[in-house]
Amino acid sequence: MREYLNQIIAIVRKDFLTEMKTRELFSSMFVFAVLVIIIFIFTVDLSITRSNEVGPGVMWVAIFFSGAIGLNRSFMLEKENGCMQGLLLTPADRTAIYFGKLISNLGFLTLMEAFILPVFMVFFNIDLLPHFFPLLLVIFLGTLGFCAIGTLLASLAANLKTRDIMLPILLYPLMVPIAIASVRMTGKILAGEPLSEMLNWMGLVLCFDIIFIGTAVMTIDHILEE
Amino acid sequence: MTLSPSSTVEPAIEVKNICKSFGFRRAVSNLSFEVQRGEFLTIFGANGAGKTTLLNILSGRTRPSSGTAKVAGFDVTEANPKMRKEIGVISHATCLYPDLSPLENLEFYAKMYGLDRPEECAEKAVEGAGLKKRRHDPVRTFSRGMLQRLTIARATLHQPSILFLDEPFTGLDPLASGALKDYLRSLHTDQRTLLMTTHDISCGLEMGDHIAVQIDGRFALMEPNNGLDPVAFESRYMNLITGGKEG
Repeated sequence: MREYLNQIIAIVRKDFLTEMKTRELFSSMFVFAVLVIIIFIFTVDLSITRSNEVGPGVMWVAIFFSGAIGLNRSFMLEKENGCMQGLLLTPADRTAIYFGKLISNLGFLTLMEAFILPVFMVFFNIDLLPHFFPLLLVIFLGTLGFCAIGTLLASLAANLKTRDIMLPILLYPLMVPIAIASVRMTGKILAGEPLSEMLNWMGLVLCFDIIFIGTAVMTIDHILEE
Repeated sequence: MTLSPSSTVEPAIEVKNICKSFGFRRAVSNLSFEVQRGEFLTIFGANGAGKTTLLNILSGRTRPSSGTAKVAGFDVTEANPKMRKEIGVISHATCLYPDLSPLENLEFYAKMYGLDRPEECAEKAVEGAGLKKRRHDPVRTFSRGMLQRLTIARATLHQPSILFLDEPFTGLDPLASGALKDYLRSLHTDQRTLLMTTHDISCGLEMGDHIAVQIDGRFALMEPNNGLDPVAFESRYMNLITGGKEG
């Protein structure tokens, strides 16, 4: 078990070390998310629509779109110089590789969200601070589901020539339940409703998080082999 | 085909009737052979003869379409982590992260192999590869020879008993090539089993104590190397791969 955890930590450490040296992943994700928010700001007339009605949708679109860039890049790193081959030749369990990459992706996306939320607050003129902790929980659950299935699909798409196109095509339809639930919950939180009012939505997201992680654990072996 | 007289000790590599097809094309065709522990087998063959596919099967990276293969006593199709601890692979890809330094790369692999004191192991391996002065530089700034030395250090970090080498001399200058030969000799004298594919006849004959020629997925020749003459062997080899149309 200790060796298993050490392998997961080694992958996470390696990914963060690479990112600290290159700063490619975070910067591209952040710039893309800001661009999505700016585009929506110019296309949605906020004098007609209330910010906290349209805002949650825009926020999650920015997170999911920029997240897909991160997922693609994360496995590109492993394809460069055949590093995935090297990883697969080690005695590490394939699920350790999956969890290592999942935690890295979750870490990068959470970091990006920490920077994008203030931008969102400014552009949409919404004060998120009174709803900070419930929002944090909702964002974490949504992001976890996105990364859980995204990491699995990115590992699958990494072997395809059309990986840049294939990942969003495979990922976004599967993300629909989590996207709907996350947007609804964020909207309710911004409207001042307590978390107890949205337990159904939260349960739905949690169920999908578990299903996605379970699916990944069961299939990652076959996906990473040939 | 067996390289040495059969012994009671289990062979390091045991291949029985393995085939591998990609669509209609057969890369490995009904291949059977054994390599005893401590032997060095060199496999020659033209491009597309199936050498890399054979190495991929033996290292557990590709499943054979049929047949069985055992490496260090483990079935290669079972993806046994214990087997992966016993083998080292040097392929066309370096498997090194270009933005990380040699130390960071090897420390990462040491952790993935579950070695004790990974930092120390990485430090020692970098020193052994003669890259101590550049141990903190990103790997992407390295020359081909330096990369190859580091690749070997990565592949042998966990002290594997069997080493697969896929054309390890490609792109190396004579100096780097000589250093690599010396290193491989030292590994061989350590009683490791080595299986190397190469196009370089003189190099392959110099290194291997057994040789094989792979053509269209089969071994057209497999024999002990009792001081084979490179010139005579090259003409035989050319005859084999051209089907007697040359010379």
